[in-house]
Amino acid sequence: MKGDPNLAGQDDFTAKLMNDMPTELLDFVKTKVNSFIKWDLVRFFYENPNTVDTAENIAKYAGRHLSAVTPELEDLIAGNVMDKKIVGDQVTYSLTQDKAMRRLIETFVLACEDRHFRVKAVYHIIRNMQ
Amino acid sequence: MTTNRVKTGIDGLDEMLGGGFLPQTANLIEGAPGTGKTTLGMQFIYNGIVKYNEPGLIITFEEFPRQYYYDAAGLGWDFARLEKEGRLKIIMTSPEVSQKDLEDVGGIVENLVTTMGIRRILVDSMTHFERITQNQTELRAIQYGFINALKREGLTSLLTKESPALLGEAPEGDSDLAFVVDSYSILRYVEIDSAIRKAMLVLKMRGSDHAKDIRQYDIDTQTGFQLKAKFEGQEGILSGSPRRSMIDAFDEAFIK
Repeated sequence: MKGDPNLAGQDDFTAKLMNDMPTELLDFVKTKVNSFIKWDLVRFFYENPNTVDTAENIAKYAGRHLSAVTPELEDLIAGNVMDKKIVGDQVTYSLTQDKAMRRLIETFVLACEDRHFRVKAVYHIIRNMQ
Repeated sequence: MTTNRVKTGIDGLDEMLGGGFLPQTANLIEGAPGTGKTTLGMQFIYNGIVKYNEPGLIITFEEFPRQYYYDAAGLGWDFARLEKEGRLKIIMTSPEVSQKDLEDVGGIVENLVTTMGIRRILVDSMTHFERITQNQTELRAIQYGFINALKREGLTSLLTKESPALLGEAPEGDSDLAFVVDSYSILRYVEIDSAIRKAMLVLKMRGSDHAKDIRQYDIDTQTGFQLKAKFEGQEGILSGSPRRSMIDAFDEAFIK
């Protein structure tokens, strides 16, 4: 299939179509929210912006397994989307206080209300998972 | 005795409380699901902000903050705007984290008290502390430590607690927390004439006189918690199934 020039062309066309979104959002989807779990987490923290809790409880809120959520939270911390703090003997996670990042998150969540944008975001996440 | 009060701003309730809650006290509201504990708490916080210029904090252990924004909006209270204005904060966390946070220097609550000037707090609900330990002595120590930490921060707190009893009195020993707090009020469902009504009673208020009568109330979709007249001619209201008082029954049978 790789050798089929028609399909290669189709792939290029699809990629071009899917990249048709504001640069900062494209970068956000490709580098920050590059999995469905991260998408769920970002949406949860956008809707509940002052949540401060352990990975275990956040996993419960998100309806996911702790083992799946913890590495995603760590990725989001590395990407400056979330903060990590030690409270007593508990490791807690919360949304970043960085205003620019919070604005970007809001832009992303609001953009997701558009079906075409969602399709593009899903495309990039699946590409990233492959 | 101090005359300074932290008013709830709810018509009739402040009078029941002898003018309002005493400053920097912990005040427990216990009731069955749907009796309006959270609405009462939200109203305490909202009125504090808009009527008395006292910024508020809501700590939720169960409901997602978005539910508070939604419920508040239904009552005409724009919690999202108040958060943007820095007069309200709704934090979702767990009792374990909250307890440790209050023990920390520079914790979240301490920072909010300093930066936002938080004066009132709603903790919804204290029932969730029960998942930290099954040991009642240890639980009481944890709750006591938590409440004292709120007082150290200078906060007047309204704490909610779920009651397992839908009608009638809660099982004995269910309200250990009532011993720890400064005031204790209960919200109850009452069945009268094949209809469910709601009743409120202030059972305890340290350092202050308070009303002893059992009052009816409603949760109005426009205005929230609305206290009404006391139950007249009924006995055994807290049992959940009151009966007409002897005098009223006599009047009904022979005079009316």
